[in-house]
Amino acid sequence: MKKFMAMVCAAAFGICTLAACGSGAEAQDTANAGETAQAGGGEAAAGDTAAAGERKTFTVGFDAEFPPYGYMDEDGNYTGFDLDLAKEVCARNGWEFVAQPVDWDSKDMELNSGSIDCIWNGFTMQGREDAYTWSVPYVDNSQVFVVPADAGIASQADLAGKVVGVQKDSSALAALDGDAKELAVTFADLQQYGDYNVAFMDLEQGAIDALAIDIGVANYQLSSRGDAFVILEERLASEQYGIGFKLGNEELKNQVEATLLEMVQDGKFMEIAEKYSDFGLTDSVCLGK
Amino acid sequence: MSLATMFLQLVKGMGITVEIFFLTLLFSLPAGLVLSFGRMSKQGWLRVISKFYISVMRGTPLMLQLIVVYFAPYYVFGIRISSGYRFVAVIIAFVLNYAAYFAEIYRSGIESMAVGQYEAAKVLGYSRSQTFFKIILPQVIKRVLPPVTNETITLVKDTSLAFVLAEAEMFTIAKQIAAKETSIMPLMAAGLFYYIFNLAVAGFMEYLEKKLNYYR
Repeated sequence: MKKFMAMVCAAAFGICTLAACGSGAEAQDTANAGETAQAGGGEAAAGDTAAAGERKTFTVGFDAEFPPYGYMDEDGNYTGFDLDLAKEVCARNGWEFVAQPVDWDSKDMELNSGSIDCIWNGFTMQGREDAYTWSVPYVDNSQVFVVPADAGIASQADLAGKVVGVQKDSSALAALDGDAKELAVTFADLQQYGDYNVAFMDLEQGAIDALAIDIGVANYQLSSRGDAFVILEERLASEQYGIGFKLGNEELKNQVEATLLEMVQDGKFMEIAEKYSDFGLTDSVCLGK
Repeated sequence: MSLATMFLQLVKGMGITVEIFFLTLLFSLPAGLVLSFGRMSKQGWLRVISKFYISVMRGTPLMLQLIVVYFAPYYVFGIRISSGYRFVAVIIAFVLNYAAYFAEIYRSGIESMAVGQYEAAKVLGYSRSQTFFKIILPQVIKRVLPPVTNETITLVKDTSLAFVLAEAEMFTIAKQIAAKETSIMPLMAAGLFYYIFNLAVAGFMEYLEKKLNYYR
């Protein structure tokens, strides 16, 4: 009998798991971070090629660790300049807005496989012109170097012999591999990071001497981390942000772009940019001025 | 972000983590048993296939397997996926991977049983399936519990690998909060959550072990 009880106990292990299975579906919906994010995304994104008139949802792929363009807000919902723009575009077209965080390394695979409709997340056009169908540029971005305020680095020339950090597959890295190659060879080492938060922590603890980074992200980090860091005046590269659609998806691009330009016309675009003026976005947007 | 919100977000992520954990166990524990039969089969080809499967699953990173399972339908077969497949892919990849480990654990348990027991069962007129389910399996379960506990605890921590598919489990959420807060604290908090979860898992498995220890 005792033996039987013990076997029942072992079976309970399995039954627990069955119970988890039963409630699985709802749990997934309620457990997702943003209320608009992901929930309902299940049946959604399949209609990528469907005519725009039939479109019900618009799934934006973004890196949720890229403030102020796309990140998690105070209440745990996904927010950011780009997501706010996308949300407004959806509202005006009667689409349901779905914010789908993606791993930045897999963004192309996500876009091609149809799980997202576009990449809208501080997405640099330069160097990627032929890889996506692009909207008009909406932000003039630059790549800058962030250094500790007390490091005595005042210009790019001072970076010679220093260890510089950069995000992998970022446009800062593209610049350092391309036009700014001559500058890059003077560095002691170029350290690549998966995300800027880790890179900044490494800069803070002194493992690297400088960080090449998008100016918008740099402003966000500086406004949150205080004045221990400075941005070098001298820019590494200038570039523009656009919305990237799957190559050939002109129809969706045209519709989103038309709505975006309409928002520029009636001032909604700048209104959204104002929300993020702390991070320099009112200066860097290139539409609506 | 207030501490309360951060806690709430992590708890939500924990929900997904727990879901991945239980669904993986639900499917991989029996799948492992079936696979271990294949691995010990008298049919040569079945043994070779099982052996090959186990060696691939154990020999390649789980992170890579997650990526392959999620992206293969489109890139290999041209099937467009929907966003709902994300979670399904996570479960499939974890089950495929853990079944391989569990199969080897079962095999070690089953092969450790003395041949005399099979002979005795035969003399007593037990059929082959009766012998296995009534005599061998109960003893095997007792013997394999400690290594299964090991694997189960590893699974809790491995769920964090689902971040490569951006599944909103606890580690993904913790990283997002860390980026928002520009702080490492949310990751530490996530570590504490994992530890507490594992404490519960280990506690339960220890209780199970004691319960099954009915001959001492």
